Amino acid sequence: MKPANIGIVYRKELTDTLRDRRTLISSILVPILLFPVLILGVAGLAIFVVQKTRTEGSRVMLLGAEHAPQLAARLEREKTLRLTPPAAGYAAQIDAKSLRAALEIPPQMEARLRSNPEETQTATIYWYEGELRSQTAVRTIERAVADYREEVLAARLAERNLPAEVLKPFVAERKNVVSAERVTGNILGLLLPYFFITLALTGAMYPAMDLTAGEKERGTMETILASPVSRAELVLGKFLLVLTASLVTTALSIASFGVTILGGAELLRGVTPGLVVAVSTKAAAAVFFILLPLAILFSAALLAIAVMARSYREAQTYLTPLMFVVILPAMAAFLPGVELNARLALIPILNVSLVSREIFTGQYPWGLIALIFGSTLVYAAAAIGMAIRQFQREEVLFRT
Amino acid sequence: MIEALELCKVFRDKKRGEIRAVDGVSFRCLPGKIYGLLGANGAGKTTTLRMLATILKPSSGTAKVAGSDVATEPDEVRRKVGFLSTATALYGRLTAQEMVEYFGRLHGMNGGELRRRIDEIFGWLDMNEFRDRRCDKLSTGMKQKVSIARTLVHDPPVMIFDEPTLGLDVMTARIINAFIRECRDQGKTVIFSTHVMSEAEKLCDTIGIIHNGKLLAEGTLAQLRQRYAMIDLEDIFVQVVEKPAAALADAPGRTM
Repeated sequence: MKPANIGIVYRKELTDTLRDRRTLISSILVPILLFPVLILGVAGLAIFVVQKTRTEGSRVMLLGAEHAPQLAARLEREKTLRLTPPAAGYAAQIDAKSLRAALEIPPQMEARLRSNPEETQTATIYWYEGELRSQTAVRTIERAVADYREEVLAARLAERNLPAEVLKPFVAERKNVVSAERVTGNILGLLLPYFFITLALTGAMYPAMDLTAGEKERGTMETILASPVSRAELVLGKFLLVLTASLVTTALSIASFGVTILGGAELLRGVTPGLVVAVSTKAAAAVFFILLPLAILFSAALLAIAVMARSYREAQTYLTPLMFVVILPAMAAFLPGVELNARLALIPILNVSLVSREIFTGQYPWGLIALIFGSTLVYAAAAIGMAIRQFQREEVLFRT
Repeated sequence: MIEALELCKVFRDKKRGEIRAVDGVSFRCLPGKIYGLLGANGAGKTTTLRMLATILKPSSGTAKVAGSDVATEPDEVRRKVGFLSTATALYGRLTAQEMVEYFGRLHGMNGGELRRRIDEIFGWLDMNEFRDRRCDKLSTGMKQKVSIARTLVHDPPVMIFDEPTLGLDVMTARIINAFIRECRDQGKTVIFSTHVMSEAEKLCDTIGIIHNGKLLAEGTLAQLRQRYAMIDLEDIFVQVVEKPAAALADAPGRTM
């Protein structure tokens, strides 16, 4: 085998691939745009909805306002509520989303609060369960109602000359002890491994099909097989190109994600003050490192499978089910109960998913990381061997 | 020089079982001569030529191409062979020059040597005008020229053409046929396959009629006419194919 020939094949495939729009889209454009679109899209939508609710206000109906003028005045002061005069058919209006909620005050509520202090007065809130803006309106109403209850309570305690603390003998407060990096990492660690693993696969998928089935379809396979390049050199040159595509996709997606999450947090702070988001570059680098052998495995396996197909379309038929084979173990990090151990560290894809979650939360189990890196490399080597063998089989190259 | 000795290729098919695509084919092609394999579709022409070009491995038998054995020294053989067929397409996203350069490099050429060779071929084939145009933007005639340049870049002593004019229009086919003659005149060993009688009549120094994987008759056009007492090659071909036993008895040896 001549390394020079591998280089020649690689350079040619690189030129070829950089001129292929399909591969450029899947390997460069998709990873760059996926996270901004996903994260900023979701964040932007949330901001939009919240602001719209704030500026427009939610239409809320007050039934029996005359029975609780103080409470009514409180609700009147809420900037995000627009009170409308009572009318029949409020339930239908809520159903039609023209009304977000309605508050029904029981007869003589404020008078009875004074005259019958031993009795609980029950007001009713009508709402559209599960509907976001109805929920927002209900939350505002409930807060106003609670504030009013506090006021009534404070007045009652004052009448009896009792301090407010009588009703609040103790409280428990939450205090976060971990860094912002870990707080963020814990959330990201659930989702990101799945995205990065999938992207490492999809980034390799189009070039792998293009360099094998595509070559057969366009009739260039026979041309190259008649040249002095050996089958092994040919496979390795192609493999390196597919691997490059996979790694570029993965690196771009990690970088794009980092930029997006920091930019997105800046935006979200406008809505959720005090939100702190931090991503560690060390974690990002470590995750890329652990994805490396997996990218090798994907690239070689995709080549070995795609070369069996006679056409691009047929290759897609073979590789689509493979997506599911990869996606399921890649989602392992979603499962809260599954903890990484030495046995799971030997299961490809699943192991990378689990260890990435650990890494994002700031844990570096070096022994397991080495085991995962090593075992995936072994699988990857086997896949490369399989790809070379496939390229030496006449019935695979000349299927009719 | 090409020497094929008892070449066999057996494929295994799930439905049809064992298929002997090429069954004990022997022949010799000499430098400066054109050897034509004449046969119907599925006769075994492509498989034979693919074995000579080391794209397929013979199931049994041997062949020597310019002194190298196709089974044991495939790399050596590929260095000495230019292979052209309608199935050997171009890389559409490479330019004409990049395409030829790529194969030159795989043949171990580089730097000034490769550049000079490419300039020479591009000048000779009148290709400079579309040198930097992508192959998928070229006309069929231009594409054929690029393919020719690709097979010639390493100046091989042996040329293998597998139905090179299949599906081409008359003008483009003429480019190819002129090129085949040019190769012969340069003293190269040329073998080519066709199912077109007129092409075989016009080009070949020796004609081998292949049917069902077996070489049934062989000789110059004059020898074949004499042997079968017929003028038209098509009549001779039909005669050979329909009465293979007689043809075999008639074929005395490996006449060139």
